[in-house]
Amino acid sequence: MAEETVLTDDFLRQLINVGEVDILVGLPTHNNARTIEPVIRAIQAGILKCFPRERVVIINADGGSQDGTPELVIRASIDDVWNVSKVYALRTLHSISTRYARNPEPGTALRTILAAADLLRAKACVVVSPDSTTIEPDWLQRLVRPVYNDNFDLVAPIYRRQKFEGVLMRNLLYPMTRAIYGYRVREPYASEFAISGRLATDFLTKETWNAEWGRIGAEICLTITAITGKYRVCQSFLGTKAQPARSASDLVAAMRRTVGALFLSLDSNFPLWSAIADSQPVPTLGAQSEVMLEPVRVNRKRLREMFATGVAQLEPVLRSILSASTLSELQRIAALEVNEFNYPADVWAKTVFEFAASYHKCVISRDHIVQALVPLYRGRTLSFLLENRDGSGQDMEKSVESLCGEFERLKPYLLEVWADRK
Amino acid sequence: MSIKTKCLSRRTKVLSWTPENLLRNGLIAGRRADRYPHCYSIDVGAGGPAIIRDGTRLPLKREAGWYKDAIIYQIHVRTFFDSNSDGIGDFHGLAQKLDYVQELGVNAIWLMPFFSSPLRDDGYDISDYKSVHPSYGTLEDFKTFLSSAHDRGIRVIIEMVANHTSDQHPWFLESRSSQDNPKRDWYVWSDTDTTYRGTRIIFLDTEMSNWAWDPISKSYYWHRFFSHQPDLNYDNPAVCEEMWNVMKFWLELGVDGFRLDAVPYLIEREGTSCENLPETHEVIRELRKKVDDQFPGAILLAEANQWPADLRPYFGNGDEFHMAFHFPLMPRMFMGLRLEDRKPITEILQQTPEIPATCQWCLFLRNHDELTLEMVTDIERDYMYDIYASDKTMRLNLGIRRRLAPLLDNDRRRIELMNGMLMSLPGTPIIYYGDEIGMGDNIYLGDRNGVRTPMQWSGGWNGGFSTADPESLYSPPILNPVYGYQAVNVLSQKRTEHSLLSWMKHIMRIRRSSPVFGAGSIEFLYPANHRVLAYVRQLGKETVLVVNNLSSAAQAVELDLRRYKGNILIEMFGRNIFPRIGDVPYLLTMGPYQFYWFRLRRI
Amino acid sequence: MWEIIITELTQALQELARGFAHYLPRLIVMLIIALVGWVIAYLLKVLVRSILRLTKFSKLSENAGATQLLNQAALPSSTELLSRFVFWVAWIAFILLGVSVLGIVGLQEYISRFFLFLPRLFVALVILFFGLLAASFFSRAALLAAVNANFRSSRLLSISIRIIISIFALSMVFEVLGVAEETMLIAFGTAFGAVMLGLAIAFGIGGKDLAREFLEKKIVTGKKEEKEDDPSPL
Repeated sequence: MAEETVLTDDFLRQLINVGEVDILVGLPTHNNARTIEPVIRAIQAGILKCFPRERVVIINADGGSQDGTPELVIRASIDDVWNVSKVYALRTLHSISTRYARNPEPGTALRTILAAADLLRAKACVVVSPDSTTIEPDWLQRLVRPVYNDNFDLVAPIYRRQKFEGVLMRNLLYPMTRAIYGYRVREPYASEFAISGRLATDFLTKETWNAEWGRIGAEICLTITAITGKYRVCQSFLGTKAQPARSASDLVAAMRRTVGALFLSLDSNFPLWSAIADSQPVPTLGAQSEVMLEPVRVNRKRLREMFATGVAQLEPVLRSILSASTLSELQRIAALEVNEFNYPADVWAKTVFEFAASYHKCVISRDHIVQALVPLYRGRTLSFLLENRDGSGQDMEKSVESLCGEFERLKPYLLEVWADRK
Repeated sequence: MSIKTKCLSRRTKVLSWTPENLLRNGLIAGRRADRYPHCYSIDVGAGGPAIIRDGTRLPLKREAGWYKDAIIYQIHVRTFFDSNSDGIGDFHGLAQKLDYVQELGVNAIWLMPFFSSPLRDDGYDISDYKSVHPSYGTLEDFKTFLSSAHDRGIRVIIEMVANHTSDQHPWFLESRSSQDNPKRDWYVWSDTDTTYRGTRIIFLDTEMSNWAWDPISKSYYWHRFFSHQPDLNYDNPAVCEEMWNVMKFWLELGVDGFRLDAVPYLIEREGTSCENLPETHEVIRELRKKVDDQFPGAILLAEANQWPADLRPYFGNGDEFHMAFHFPLMPRMFMGLRLEDRKPITEILQQTPEIPATCQWCLFLRNHDELTLEMVTDIERDYMYDIYASDKTMRLNLGIRRRLAPLLDNDRRRIELMNGMLMSLPGTPIIYYGDEIGMGDNIYLGDRNGVRTPMQWSGGWNGGFSTADPESLYSPPILNPVYGYQAVNVLSQKRTEHSLLSWMKHIMRIRRSSPVFGAGSIEFLYPANHRVLAYVRQLGKETVLVVNNLSSAAQAVELDLRRYKGNILIEMFGRNIFPRIGDVPYLLTMGPYQFYWFRLRRI
Repeated sequence: MWEIIITELTQALQELARGFAHYLPRLIVMLIIALVGWVIAYLLKVLVRSILRLTKFSKLSENAGATQLLNQAALPSSTELLSRFVFWVAWIAFILLGVSVLGIVGLQEYISRFFLFLPRLFVALVILFFGLLAASFFSRAALLAAVNANFRSSRLLSISIRIIISIFALSMVFEVLGVAEETMLIAFGTAFGAVMLGLAIAFGIGGKDLAREFLEKKIVTGKKEEKEDDPSPL
């Protein structure tokens, strides 16, 4: 496996032409032609504004786009041959593209970008999502500076969010990562982040690379590696994060990518996380978090119904995953009407931990375990919405904080169910 | 050095009676053998070709276009060699060192101002245009120098500071004496200091305004440079006439051309920047016409620190200047080297417009002024300052007052690469005295005097420049262990084949071996590796490929040479053969700061 | 009379004793074979178990969802199950070998038939095992997908898939075993038809709601749906 290469000969030739760089901007894409132009423009402007002297390259790892995304990226080059945009720049800016596979594999895309960063000896490597239409030129600076100037190894973003955006992040990924690995990283699974060349190189050589990571994405693994490997981690406030409209099937895919990856990471890191008892804050540049209070219309009845149906229909599946007490608790909650609906934090934390333990033990197919969590997450979402319906941003922060506390408090329970061989 | 001798006997038509043509034809041809009974020889020595008739050199004839193949050596009389032990260089001394100049391989000298002057701006403040400053010798000394230079095939270009005089010049003294003096109109006077407000100030570090108050005539006079350098009024035909008389004076003595100082500023008009005005071009066209009519072959070289597009009008339709300095290119060569990116260089050359066939750019790396950063953007200027003049004392006005070697960290490879580009980019190269041996500078001397220290001839007394007391020299020589005359001097470098001096001689010999460098066209190749600057120079059937690696690390580069398929490459320094060009991209691997000159040959 | 009886009895006893004496060594041989068979079978079991452990068979079966199936049926782990199966098959084979030593007429034939039948039995068991496994896996996959897609009749769909796959597997098993092939074919056909009919009816009844929902969404309340935001997860 070690000999397997993600770099095609053509890509390698392009890398030779790029040569050593200071900053590498990675752009994993798949049919993003619709949104990528403002992103590319912002990246280019950010480079010209904040890093005019640095050697920068934009590397697009494309998962087989059919809509000409790579061509749009390549057009962002600034050089003496193709300078059609007439942008003024001190030095050449290469913008190159490679197709790593026919189908998108987020993990392989990241690996391609990191491999390029390693080969080009980039001091800082920043990954930007092609969906981030609200990106501003300053984002680049805010992500790269801590790595480039202050020797941080990982810069995780903090976004200004709508009140009810990033619900999974707030209710599962953040509290659980924080409880498990002991670092308060707000966005452990970020679509924008920056890492040092050192971390990129070390991460590439890690044994944990496998097909699974390639498929579901390795961002969370990167965060965990940074946290557990004694790298310097910080957070940087970026700005408003746009949310592309997602449908229900996207939720399953997102859960697979994020929750699946988080659960998977528990397997190999057990010795590390089992010893961590509490969490510590991470240095943060800019705002800790910002919440926009815009009214959101959510069909609460539908959420409750999906949760209740899920609990009822998946009963045999849940029985094999959850403990009897948790399952009966869920069944009790499922019987509640919308106005009195409440999925308490402790039950939620227990649910998640039991799922994690079952995932570890492979009581059923792991993918099925993650899928079975989806309806329960919907229930938690509803509870979260109801709880914070009229609250301010600060109130919501408090509620997230108390949820995190609940996760941390119940960590011994996770260890218990983890070890329990039923 | 080979001496080729041939007695004329054949009847052929003489195309142009010049040594270069004789050489190119490989023989000397005459119309009638009986009319040319002498034995001619051509000396193709380092000083360029010269014709020797019966053992004596013929005076150099001025062939049109000679400047295109020239390599110019820039000298200040004061700094070169002191023959009378007064601590100041002189014409007599300069004449003694002409053998060195000839050996070096240059074929033209550009002399900085040597006229009578209070020397408040190193001679750019002239108080008498028709005399030699007494420190440098007499007019007779100049004539002797001129003829011995011509004997060696070396042409001489002198400075023509046309824009302004010294405030000690008799013309100005008369002009300021009263408001109704006949010469009052020879300078630009005003009752207020608010006229021509749109005009920038050039010497930002010393001057507050372009106007200076004259307490004698109680009015303001115009000056673009120092306040002791009042600008002449070219709207006055008498001034034009008198300046032509000055030029005629020197041309009659035999000088081969003028470098016209501060050309864009000759004429002022309200509501403009007072630079590059059409009226200025009118003055120049008239001058050029007179030169062409009365002294064909003499050249005019423009000093106009402008963007290429603004410079282009100074060539007119081939009826203004013969040559002009390419100011914006120079800082970009330094920038490209440090950025390890060819973009600054290719971009400025892309922006450089075509010039008439009879015209030529003058290229230089360093000269007697600061490395000017007027023709760069703010970002570029900041970059240049940070990279090349981190010490603020190195900065002057909008520029960096340092010599070539210290700018390049005394890195031999970078010095060679920069000279390699200078010699191979289209234009006539100028070498500033001392840069051929890698002399250093003294940033603790004021103004631009730090780059005008005595030439370092040997490791001995005053570096061989003068036998006077060191204290009495016009400027202290460089003494530090790295750049001082004991470490860097002509004598020691002559002795070693590997010295910078020997290398400079070598590269100039190679440049002279082909007219393609002076007159050929240029076409850039744009290899995907942006650290490699590659271009093809072409003239007639002669094609030369130049590849420069601007990077401090080894590079692989693929060149698209399909157009030249079938040619083999011959590396011009070692004359080794490189593989034939095929259909696939031509792969070259280049060491740090390495460059190649390849002659393309179809065999 | 008594004499005759006694003689006959003695004779019979002698016959019996002779017969017994005749059979005793065979019996002992049989017992020895059975004992040795047990030992060999046990060794085989240990061998199989360690091979399976080395090749991480349990992981494979976990991934396939077999472990959970076995757990549900309160059966030991797949490795254990397979090694036990090998043990029993081997031991039974040895016992039968021993019985054949007894030389009982007719039994021989049955025993040889048993040995011929053994590979088929094995294949049939494997098919059954994987068939039930697949039925369980796919029915669950369908259930989860249906629930997450907010499908009304997810349970029904899941059960139908399980039944179809199970029936298919069973029919294959009987096919392999060669037991009452024709009967099975008919039975299977009937069962399959019945299931299909059931499904058709079920889908018809369930689909009524689905269809109405779909049409409502598309035509009647299309605008209302647009307004509702799904709170984004990330």
